[in-house]
Amino acid sequence: MDKVFIAIPAYNEEKTIAKVIEDLLQADYKNIIIIDDGSKDETVNIVKKYPVYLCQHQLNCGQGAALRTGTEFALKNKADVIVHFDADGQHQVKDINNFIIKIKEGYDIVIGSRFLGDSYNNIPFTKRYFIHKPAIIFNWFFTGLKMTDAHSGFRALSRKAAKQIRITLNRMAHSTEIPGEVIKNQLKFAEVPIDVIYNDYGQKFSDGFKIIADLLKHKILK
Amino acid sequence: MSLIQIFIVIFIAYVIYRLSVKLRKRDMSIQLFLLWLVFWIIVAVVIVLPQTTQILADWLGVGRGVDVVIYISIVVLFYIVFRVYSRIEKIERDITYLVKDISLENVQKGEKQKMEQSEQ
Repeated sequence: MDKVFIAIPAYNEEKTIAKVIEDLLQADYKNIIIIDDGSKDETVNIVKKYPVYLCQHQLNCGQGAALRTGTEFALKNKADVIVHFDADGQHQVKDINNFIIKIKEGYDIVIGSRFLGDSYNNIPFTKRYFIHKPAIIFNWFFTGLKMTDAHSGFRALSRKAAKQIRITLNRMAHSTEIPGEVIKNQLKFAEVPIDVIYNDYGQKFSDGFKIIADLLKHKILK
Repeated sequence: MSLIQIFIVIFIAYVIYRLSVKLRKRDMSIQLFLLWLVFWIIVAVVIVLPQTTQILADWLGVGRGVDVVIYISIVVLFYIVFRVYSRIEKIERDITYLVKDISLENVQKGEKQKMEQSEQ
């Protein structure tokens, strides 16, 4: 059987992390790696109560960095499939299996799309038209890859893809980085519908600008 | 000499003094010291005798000597900001790399799993 690792970056997620871990354990996912990205709250102590791997960043390095750490740990432990999952409870455990199935079908990278899922209509109108749609266009412009939802952060990588993809941007811009890597490495890519639950802890509108700033900086300085 | 010129010259004297202290403590190489010394002496000359910049201004085709100094300063400052910026980016990347490696060496596993393993 394929060895599946779930990598969850967590930064100050004491409110939600316990439920996320419990749901995953209940669904019988055994290899869960939580990457604590220098949280200042109780996140670490909560995670320690559960039978999951805990990897601690001494300093806050950003979600991209945390995902890279998690991915590297999974590779070291001979993972066949690596799933990137969110610690704030917006992703559904029930969707993970669809990712794994796709990877088993031979895809290298599977990205969850909110725009294909049923819950899309629950996303606030403003968020849909002022954050998501521009993000799609922005990604397409930068990467040339058309995907309905590149910023979900819910994705699965095959072992091969995980080895090839290098997440170099530390903060949130990693989501845009990945499609570029897909093209560069000629990976087989698929999308699966996912449902998301929106809470107050998601990304703010201003974060969209931060992501754009990160990317421009990267392009200029490279 | 106006008051501002006096202040700036005193400041430059202080900077040169700090440089010489650094040199004596061997915190700084003699080459670097000379470079900075020449730089600050030029600044002092420009402050005390602003007319000197007129030579440069005429040569470059800029109207006033003061303008030449400002233009050059802006270009140099922008360049320095860019350098510092790239430096910080690189340091950030290096720190991330270190943090990652340290964290990967100290991966823990929660208690319940240990109990389960000992039962098996």
